[in-house]
Amino acid sequence: MSFGGLIAIFLGVALVNNLVFQGFLGICPFLGVSRKVDMAFGMGCAVTFVITVSGVVTWLIVHAVLTPIGGAIGHTEALYFLKYVAFIMVIASMVQLVEMYLRKFFPGLYTAFGVFLPLITTNCAILGTCLYIDMKPETQHLLNAAVYAFGGGIGFLVAITIMAGIREHIRFSDVPKCLQGAGITLLVAAILALAFTGFTGIGK
Amino acid sequence: MADEDNGSNLQQFKEGVLSNNPVLVQLLGMCPTLAVTNSVENALVMGAAATFVVVMSNLITSALRNLIKPHVRILIFTLTIATFVTIADLTLKAFMYKVSLQLGAFIPLIIVNCMIICRAEVVAIKNGVGRSLADAFGIGIGFTLALLILGVVREWLGSGTITFPFADPISVMPAAFTANGHNWIIMILPPGAFLTLGVVVGISNQIRARREKGGAA
Repeated sequence: MSFGGLIAIFLGVALVNNLVFQGFLGICPFLGVSRKVDMAFGMGCAVTFVITVSGVVTWLIVHAVLTPIGGAIGHTEALYFLKYVAFIMVIASMVQLVEMYLRKFFPGLYTAFGVFLPLITTNCAILGTCLYIDMKPETQHLLNAAVYAFGGGIGFLVAITIMAGIREHIRFSDVPKCLQGAGITLLVAAILALAFTGFTGIGK
Repeated sequence: MADEDNGSNLQQFKEGVLSNNPVLVQLLGMCPTLAVTNSVENALVMGAAATFVVVMSNLITSALRNLIKPHVRILIFTLTIATFVTIADLTLKAFMYKVSLQLGAFIPLIIVNCMIICRAEVVAIKNGVGRSLADAFGIGIGFTLALLILGVVREWLGSGTITFPFADPISVMPAAFTANGHNWIIMILPPGAFLTLGVVVGISNQIRARREKGGAA
């Protein structure tokens, strides 16, 4: 696929179909880790990294392991029922691997990410992106899948950083008592989602 | 002894539905709550699937709780849940194909629903089968109830209909509402999901605060 096609995939998943605001993925960290901008940015970077790596590896699992073995025993889709178990195993072990690699070679980055790294395993943005890569027709090639995964991660990074910026200011405003915490965050997210709806149509 | 046991099980069940509701109080499992509540039908099917998975995962985890080594427990939880999610997914594809297309990736995403892992970690690994099952049913029904509230509000205002599983949509708004595109399409779109959940969480906080005040007085 051409370079322009890759740009279209990237913008499509990062802005138009933003993971958080249009796809409802990764809402738990989006609500939980968006109190401070630096924490939110760290979480966003860690997610982007893991999402890209696991997107590529799960693509390889489906296209280079499950499909050929299934083909060898009679039907290419024979082993597809193993997909979910395989995906979650890949993500859990990728997170472990990334954690060990960072601790050995980039100790500064490792301490900066801190507790966020292990938490990423249960972030549905990762598994969700892997599943979408598996479902969508435009991610038949490895390069497209990698760009799609990276774009998804950047979309999450943008969303959680904007939210943290707004929440830092909300602290100084007079929010009704029953809406403090999750309530006001969800209402702000509604307005942000409305803003991201404005991107609809780009790249088509 | 047996009576006492029943009492505490009932208590556990009630807590899961009301005072410890996974969505409205604990704020767990938010992704499917927002994503699939654009119609009552989707909300009910999603609730049923999640209830099935949480019940089965609590059952297996609590039955095996003496065999599971602490350091691999999260892995075992995840694999148990993934297995039952695969069963639920294949069942839905076989019997409710249209709904399973609409729910799409959110059925497999039950695997990473923090509500279910939380129940395995907090209740099932420490308690007997009976109590774990009571807890699972409570949490599952509480989850379904919260999804149902959101689904009714969003479908009512967004499309002017209510759709139950295996049935045709029932029109609940005057014809002028859906004619000329006057219906509030925004309620079915993502912003409506955030808005509705924000308001519902606010209302439930208000009700709980008032009840606690009333109890103290």
